[in-house]
Amino acid sequence: MQAPLTDQQIRHLAQEWIPSGAPAPALRLFRDTSDFYDIEYGDVVVLEDRPFLVRHNAKEGRFGIDDEVKFWVKRAVDLTDGRRKFLKLVFYEKFMTRVGAVEFECFRSPKKEARILELTAGHPHFMQGYAARDARGNVVRVIDHIYGPSLLAHVEALRRRVDHAAYFHEHLPGILARFRPAVEAIRFLHDHGEKHGDIRRDHVLIDRDTGLFRWIDYDYNYRHRENIYGYDLFGLGNILIFLVGGGDVLLQDLADAKHPAREALEAADLNIVFHHRVANLQKVYPYIPTDLNRVLLHFSQGCQRFYEHTGQLLDDLERGRLAAPATPQETTP
Amino acid sequence: MSTAKAFKRDILIAVDDSENARRAVTYVGQMLEGLPDVRATLLHIIPLPEEDYFATDEERERWLRRHEERMAQLLEDYRQVLIGHGFAPENVDVRAYQRNCPSMATCILEERDHRAYGTIVVGRKGLSRSEEFLFGSISSKIVSYARNCTVWVVE
Repeated sequence: MQAPLTDQQIRHLAQEWIPSGAPAPALRLFRDTSDFYDIEYGDVVVLEDRPFLVRHNAKEGRFGIDDEVKFWVKRAVDLTDGRRKFLKLVFYEKFMTRVGAVEFECFRSPKKEARILELTAGHPHFMQGYAARDARGNVVRVIDHIYGPSLLAHVEALRRRVDHAAYFHEHLPGILARFRPAVEAIRFLHDHGEKHGDIRRDHVLIDRDTGLFRWIDYDYNYRHRENIYGYDLFGLGNILIFLVGGGDVLLQDLADAKHPAREALEAADLNIVFHHRVANLQKVYPYIPTDLNRVLLHFSQGCQRFYEHTGQLLDDLERGRLAAPATPQETTP
Repeated sequence: MSTAKAFKRDILIAVDDSENARRAVTYVGQMLEGLPDVRATLLHIIPLPEEDYFATDEERERWLRRHEERMAQLLEDYRQVLIGHGFAPENVDVRAYQRNCPSMATCILEERDHRAYGTIVVGRKGLSRSEEFLFGSISSKIVSYARNCTVWVVE
């Protein structure tokens, strides 16, 4: 077993990453990460004898949290091998979340994310990483970078290039074929008693190397009530509606465009939680096959029986599978 | 041989600290007032909270202790409601225990199966469609999955 690096050795390693000519920073070493606000660019976090040079605080833009600085998430370099990592430091936070008209208490759970990282180690549809304890016992998550756009950015980019009909016929079959294994990955979590907790279209990254859809960010949690996986299923439904619609189809946009479908839409056709979004997309795009549209209706106000588990959604997705286009368009980004 | 099922006068009332649970207890008291030989069990299952919800184990233990104390008091209040409506004290049982319960409805139904109660009584919270979709409803699930018993849902 190798002896732990001395502070002097760590400083020497860190120095190699400081641009030449720049003044040597007063290098600070943190073995206790409790005060994450105090850990800044140029500091070194030491976790279980492994040093990480902090480069920036992360922003949600790419990582999953909305373009504001997240002081508890640091972009860093592992000084032992030069690999880029995210360090997610412990931030216990309880807060009320509002989804549509429903409000509920959420909290961040480092332990939950650490458990899922262990559970999904080597799984191609999840971000990879591990948990390490700092000197104070804080469960810090060390996360590998995933290079590639979010599912949100990917679909938005496609829709800037093509209209819905072209998107639907040429691109969507491939997207749905790749989305299905991501849903199976969520079923894998549920089968092991875990929930993702924050399923959103920007929490799926499309791996530039493999083309696979990969889930990120599992530290969100909430005290579930009767249906432990209901909120995850809602997230999957929202992504599906977004994918099939090639974006959110909003009542106001249809009204502004004087779209003929606007008058035909009823309350039952709208998203069960977000009442300004259309779920019954077949009324707007009649070429959407009924079997696929039926899946979307499970997330509409008109739904009489909700999905209780991911397996039911997967079965219906199989029935609603779209035929591949003659010339497949959906390729690795 | 008679095909009629034996009529069981054992009632399971599943309660928590909500107003709808109190309404359910009051309803049973008013509905069965003065009927002899009816046995009622007030059941409260304390769902073991996920470890994730608490920063430390001590915090979790504290929460459980406080919850247990509060529910013990509440169950005694509910018991007195039934006795006040004419139930013989020896015919009102109280059961409270901790359990890992991913689905409370399933836990309540398992209790029914275990002791073969003839009737389950639950209160209904009156969730919106959105809430029921996001979080599920204990009463709806019990109605859907209960077998070999009658279900009263009190609103």
